[in-house]
Amino acid sequence: MEPADEALCERVARRDEAAFDLLVSRYQERAYRLAWSILRNAEDARDVSQEAFIRLYETAGSFRGRSKFSTWFYRILVNLCLDHKRKHKWWKLWVRDDDDDRAETILDRQPAPVNDPVDKLSREETLKALGSAVDRLAPRQRAAVLLRVQEDMATYDIARVLKCSEATVRVHLHRALATLKKTVEKR
Amino acid sequence: MARHPDTDLVPYLRGELPPAERERVARHLEECPDCKQDTELLRDLLGNLAHAIGQPPTVNWARYRAELREKLEARRAHVGWWRRPMPVALSASLAGILLFVAVWGGREMSRPAEPIGPDEVVMAQELGLLQDLRTVERLDLLEDLEVIRNLDGLASDHQG
Repeated sequence: MEPADEALCERVARRDEAAFDLLVSRYQERAYRLAWSILRNAEDARDVSQEAFIRLYETAGSFRGRSKFSTWFYRILVNLCLDHKRKHKWWKLWVRDDDDDRAETILDRQPAPVNDPVDKLSREETLKALGSAVDRLAPRQRAAVLLRVQEDMATYDIARVLKCSEATVRVHLHRALATLKKTVEKR
Repeated sequence: MARHPDTDLVPYLRGELPPAERERVARHLEECPDCKQDTELLRDLLGNLAHAIGQPPTVNWARYRAELREKLEARRAHVGWWRRPMPVALSASLAGILLFVAVWGGREMSRPAEPIGPDEVVMAQELGLLQDLRTVERLDLLEDLEVIRNLDGLASDHQG
């Protein structure tokens, strides 16, 4: 039977390198994908997600097991992403290097198969507009949406990751989705 | 009609609401066509968002883990010297030195100043001779302190 994440984290606190490697293998893809979804830049996502694992290694002893390991780890990761965005906001205004990543992924997105090319184009354009609208959301709204959609997290867990109340998460999600809905309705 | 359950719609769709709240929202949706339509739109939107957000560029995970390991090692190497564990012998030596400095320094600080001896008082009085340095420099009889002691008298006799 595979050891639980929480048990592995306890072992990492005792500097068990094998437990750390196992946790990294379990979470690397999710961590990188979530970081990329927030930062929209592959290099930044790689650096920030790796930094989250380093923080995990350094602070594993502070994990008390009151929440799930995933929630605790995502809190570290999301905080690092939001900090990164805050610090690099002014720079991104000058260098929009994240557009390349998005252009690639828009082409890679796989819409539902349809026969009508006009419908297909329309759907692709709608998804593209929706993706851009997600990028323009306020950072915490975006984080709430991504945790819901990508990680399928419950409101309770999102609240723990973002360190706010469940009511606040509901408001974040409502406002974010209202904004995104307007984007879709315009098209 | 009760207030529109705007912020409850997402938890409702995910089945997170407690039974009483779920029942309240369901009843509202039956009575409010706008909210019902909103709920359907939200359902579609949430379904499409995963596609809209897309997937990140692929990563070589072996290289990713190797980089992570390198960064972790570098972080360990750059831990500040004040946070590094110190050998016991070195710690004990430093503590001993600090203790000695503290005790010795304290004793020095608390010791009263030594009283001035009678010889030093006499010498200080005789320093008045040095006020006329040019005269003193020309004297060849400095070997004998008695001569120097009588210089004042000799000078007054010479002038008088």
